[in-house]
Amino acid sequence: MRTFRATRLAELPALLDFVDTACAAAGPDAGFAVRLAVEEVFTNVLAHGYGGEGPVDVTIDADTTRIRVLVEDEAPPFHPGDAPPPDLASDALEREPGGLGWHLVRQLMDEVRHAPRDGRGNTCTLVKRLPVAAPQQE
Amino acid sequence: MDIRIQPRGDIAVVAITGSVDGLTAETLLSTLQGHVQAGHARLVVDLDGVDYTSSAGLRALLATVKEARRRGGDLRLARINPNVRKVLELSGFVTILKCFEGVDEAVDSFAP
Repeated sequence: MRTFRATRLAELPALLDFVDTACAAAGPDAGFAVRLAVEEVFTNVLAHGYGGEGPVDVTIDADTTRIRVLVEDEAPPFHPGDAPPPDLASDALEREPGGLGWHLVRQLMDEVRHAPRDGRGNTCTLVKRLPVAAPQQE
Repeated sequence: MDIRIQPRGDIAVVAITGSVDGLTAETLLSTLQGHVQAGHARLVVDLDGVDYTSSAGLRALLATVKEARRRGGDLRLARINPNVRKVLELSGFVTILKCFEGVDEAVDSFAP
């Protein structure tokens, strides 16, 4: 289990490198999904939780069956589930760009849970299940 | 992320290399918007070198295609990698952006 703390958008490349390293054994598809989900949650916390910058701890626990990510912040409680659903159907000229990040997180992860932390802040738990490896032949 | 723009007649071919994320998407947006606002509203974005995009990249593309179409042009995509295509599909962007296998096809699609 590894944890990385980032506080500013400028640290996004280092955070994404951390995610890539932690998920390297899971294969490129799962790694891509987790990388995208972590970026979306991180940028959402900075923009809507802190309104700028603040500590965000990302912990990744990966085994052969799943990748589990905890994103913990110290921002005031907020509920991403309250965000309006994205507009996926309108013509380009009418389409509004909001809500796409959380939509992608929900589409790419198998579990997404969000809860206030004891004391202060929020915890977002993301789980990506990995395809079961075929049994090795003797 | 690296952006290179090459004119092909009155069409600009914009080749992007690297990751389009929450940090680099602003540069992409300002580059594309600046080009459109300078009067070059026909764009082909070559995504062959892009291995990753988040919703920040999608917002940059959406804002640019809106501006381009208001000016009578368009933004079209070429050479999309599988993971980037998946993000475009999940976001419903393949229904609003014209996507092509090759850069030449995308450029030719602007011909009347």
